[in-house]
Amino acid sequence: MAATGLRFRPGTVFPSHAANPSTQPYHHCSPQRMHAAKGRCRLKAQSSNGRPQISASSFRDVVIDGRQSEDGAPEQGGATVSITVVGASGDLAKKKIFPALFALFYEDCLPEHFTVFGYARSKMSDEELRNMISLTLTCRIDQRENCSDKMEQFLKRCFYQSGQYNSEEGFSELDRKLREKEAGKLPNRLFYLSIPPNIFVDVVRSASRTASSSSGWTRFIVEKPFGRDSESSGELTRSLKKYLDEEQIFRIDHYLGKELVENLSVLRFSNLVFEPLWSRNYIRNVQLIFSEDFGTEGRGGYFDNYGIIRDIMQNHLLQILALFAMETPVSLAAEDIRNEKVKVLRSMRKLRLDDVVVGQYKGHSKGGKSYPAYVDDPTVPSGSITPTFAAAAVFIDNARWDGVPFLMKAGKALHTRRAEIRVQFRRVPGNLYRRNIGADLDKATNELVLRVQPDEAIYLKINNKVPGLGMRLDSSELNLLYSERYRREIPDAYERLLLDAMEGERRLFIRSDELDAAWAIFTPVLRELEERRVAPELYPYGSRGPVGAHYLAANYNVRWGDISSDT
Amino acid sequence: MAFSCMRCSAGAGAGAVRRGAAATRAPAALSFVRCGLRRPAAAAAAKGVKAAMDAGVENPVRSAAPSKVENGLPSEITLDDFEDLNPLSENDESTVTITVVGASGDLAKKKIFPALFALYYEDCLPKHFTIFGYARSKMTDAELRNMVSRTLTCRIDKRENCNEKMEEFLKRCFYHSGQYDSEEHFRDLDKKLKQHEGSRVSNRLFYLSIPPNIFLDVVKCASVSASSVNGWTRVIVEKPFGRDSDSSAALTRGLKQYLVEDQIFRIDHYLGKELVENLSVLRFSNLVFEPLWSRQYIRNVQLIFSEDFGTEGRGGYFDRYGIIRDIMQNHLLQILALFAMETPISLEAEDIRNEKVKVLRSMKPLQLDDVVIGQYKSHTKGGTTYPGYIDDKTVPKDSLTPTFAAAALFINNARWDGVPFLMKAGKALHTKGAEIRVQFRHVPGNLYKRSFGTDLDTATNELVIRVQPDEAIYLKINNKIPGLGMRLDRSKLNLHYAARYSKEIPDAYERLLLDAIEGERRLFIRSDELDAAWELFTPLLKELEEKRIAPELYPYGSRGPVGAHYLAAKYNVRWGDLTTEHKA
Repeated sequence: MAATGLRFRPGTVFPSHAANPSTQPYHHCSPQRMHAAKGRCRLKAQSSNGRPQISASSFRDVVIDGRQSEDGAPEQGGATVSITVVGASGDLAKKKIFPALFALFYEDCLPEHFTVFGYARSKMSDEELRNMISLTLTCRIDQRENCSDKMEQFLKRCFYQSGQYNSEEGFSELDRKLREKEAGKLPNRLFYLSIPPNIFVDVVRSASRTASSSSGWTRFIVEKPFGRDSESSGELTRSLKKYLDEEQIFRIDHYLGKELVENLSVLRFSNLVFEPLWSRNYIRNVQLIFSEDFGTEGRGGYFDNYGIIRDIMQNHLLQILALFAMETPVSLAAEDIRNEKVKVLRSMRKLRLDDVVVGQYKGHSKGGKSYPAYVDDPTVPSGSITPTFAAAAVFIDNARWDGVPFLMKAGKALHTRRAEIRVQFRRVPGNLYRRNIGADLDKATNELVLRVQPDEAIYLKINNKVPGLGMRLDSSELNLLYSERYRREIPDAYERLLLDAMEGERRLFIRSDELDAAWAIFTPVLRELEERRVAPELYPYGSRGPVGAHYLAANYNVRWGDISSDT
Repeated sequence: MAFSCMRCSAGAGAGAVRRGAAATRAPAALSFVRCGLRRPAAAAAAKGVKAAMDAGVENPVRSAAPSKVENGLPSEITLDDFEDLNPLSENDESTVTITVVGASGDLAKKKIFPALFALYYEDCLPKHFTIFGYARSKMTDAELRNMVSRTLTCRIDKRENCNEKMEEFLKRCFYHSGQYDSEEHFRDLDKKLKQHEGSRVSNRLFYLSIPPNIFLDVVKCASVSASSVNGWTRVIVEKPFGRDSDSSAALTRGLKQYLVEDQIFRIDHYLGKELVENLSVLRFSNLVFEPLWSRQYIRNVQLIFSEDFGTEGRGGYFDRYGIIRDIMQNHLLQILALFAMETPISLEAEDIRNEKVKVLRSMKPLQLDDVVIGQYKSHTKGGTTYPGYIDDKTVPKDSLTPTFAAAALFINNARWDGVPFLMKAGKALHTKGAEIRVQFRHVPGNLYKRSFGTDLDTATNELVIRVQPDEAIYLKINNKIPGLGMRLDRSKLNLHYAARYSKEIPDAYERLLLDAIEGERRLFIRSDELDAAWELFTPLLKELEEKRIAPELYPYGSRGPVGAHYLAAKYNVRWGDLTTEHKA
């Protein structure tokens, strides 16, 4: 089987490090382990049909080019990494970060020497932290073996340090403990800031001053929100940069860690059949769709301050758009990709109020059950006009995409939960089968759908003939459903991103200039919405969202691909 | 499901018109249901009957059941123009008679009568129709019915009233015995036909299911003494159409002494296969394929036919022709022409056939160097011994006739210059199937080249159209294996017909018979097409025979002679069906 391919393999030479292959970052990639375990991270390919698609022998070089390990790559065996989760008692930490770390540990993706620290204000013993963490750890379905053993081992590496977020004392205490654990090895330190934005800078200041690694690297993962607009974001960046270099800042956008978003570039750049079609010549419009089937559910305090545009569009959807639309990068190295993404963002028109529809969900009773409105949430001001839904049409004024509408749509409390990219192609010029299609040729165009979640899939809608004696056309799908082809569980986005941060792979993190460019597109319209107090269109909880989205689409001669009885 | 409707539909009561009739009006005229309207078309006799494919197809009963809607679009693309729905009353006054000449033969029993019955069941035959069997043996109508009834079946999804339907169908079947070269006997047939036709406009279709050496006799007698006086008369001819350019031309000249081009329907049943029909739909109704359809993106095209059995005691006919004439020169070449042709002006038969001829005429005649031939030898496996080709009693012991052939062809036009079209056909192989494989070029400047190893060509996209069995279309793409690493994998974007369409796919003969009745010539081979096809193969065939080139032997049930790989290698091609990863 083609099962032994690895992201990292000793002896693989990166172009940028050809002269120095010993800068392989981690010990866990040792050949012995690779043979013992099924690859470093157990990348066991399972095709549903049981056949290897590309033979193992062709995988000599299965590595992402341009993996960086420039800073502090240690001698193998002599390095250790400490991951400090700041805000360890928070929800994200419990639900995502610790489980992701455990999954990496289970898959042998963490270095041999590692330590996990929780940091928060509350008093807690190591034991209590372990207890708390253990409640959310799970093993993957296909990897139940030794699960309890593994958990045990993992928890033994977890420790807790309590302290104030703005206190250098707390962090020097942490530093002392870290040093103890590091025990003379080359120390690398990763701080995951799982805390409210107003204390980002405090923590960064304290941690960087008193708990930076002396000889290894020190990196900070920061979660959104990255400000509320161009100014506040710029301000935050400036503050971070007082204490950190750009290379130390890892702005996480967990959508970029999703399997199909990762696959987007692979599809575009490793298949001949897509790239020729990837432009205004063939693509009529692109739709980026995100929906949740639940509301704020009593946790609207943070959300109300930001709204759906900041929470989903300006980051997740815009990032996907940039990846989708970028020119071919020089290489797969992080800076090359991020350079191309910035170019896309900077080619985009600023969003205009006319090109946005906002909505907010209202209460709805269905089948005897009633669902609360957004403003019924006790943590939301009752007069709030914060949008829980938004649709927007954006444009990229460059040679490739001029005139092609990119439609975004994001909403809470809708009828379904999904994230997908839909690419609608133009109609066939001079279609011979036009009589079979009826008056609207645009209704029978090809469509490529990348379903990011749930049920990861790629499919291309094509026209074909309905079998039979007649000549009826039908739109069917050339389909790749991930769950049918790949039986293994798809790793959570956080696993990938944490691993990347430890490995210094910045491809999926947002650079400061990217962030600036992203805010520049949205800031004017956000301001206008707030200044004019534009009232959102109300839509019932669990519905398909405000109809305004259809009119927006109609303005650009687009039809939403997701709203139909079938998908 | 939403696919209840078809070309034929019983409920076409809304007043659909016969296609032929409609076509005599505006080109916009649609007969929106192809069958199911028990009104035969007198006007169909008119020349220039419209192409089937521009006939819209819509089932009127469908309105009762709302169509499945995908993605906000109707998944069945419907028609909006339904003019011409008035039935032509005079249609009631016409009738069709189908005479199967060679009624006791194998093809007639296995394919023709069952296909006619299927058309009848689906209401695709006109209201007034008669079927005649014609052969030398003495037989009564009842005996013929008996014989026919043994091979009739109803489709899985259409069992309802099956027996009743069979009964009714058999009542319309009659037999007439006579010599193939006797005008008198055909005159007797004519008399009988007239009885059945009554005063209606009579249309007559002769299906010649007979050995080629008596084609001309039958055509002569039938056309002289049994042609329709006031309707059309058409003759369906089966391969072989000669053995080479000369004999084929002689046959055509012979036919044309008695028939005009419009009356000759040369059948190539591969053209009636569902996925071959779909080939044009794929190309011309999707935006995503046509931009890729040229030398710029396509590295090679492979047309593959295999059978998993040998001649099995019936090699007499085969031995005279061999696999190149039997499969390549017709079936595979026809598919190639459809695959490679330029966009026709319309879907009308003449427009399509014009484009096909252009492809054939742009091709280089095949060189001996570009051909590998093989013959199967006996093979023992698991205690069973499979006979060699020359073990067949009907085959001469020293036969050199190829049962396998692989060939590389080239189309010297702007679209295809330099792209090898590889054909492969064989009997007694390890598998049976027919497929078209399109291998694309490698991605220029591939960013992921390190993930592919040294040979980028092993990881290119490939479009596969599997004609039989288990119809499917799939596109092999590279994608990332889910997981934390960056490993690439080739997966399929897949459309598996059995999974999507639950209905049985009609046999190729049904489609072709119906087309012939309707005067739709799109899927039949025109004389100039046939000439062009023979010109490509005749020099090679002559050379093979003159030089008595010995075929490479391969074991029964194997993957065929390895020579095929070397031929492919010469053009830097790798057979898509014989890789370790491919398992049908």
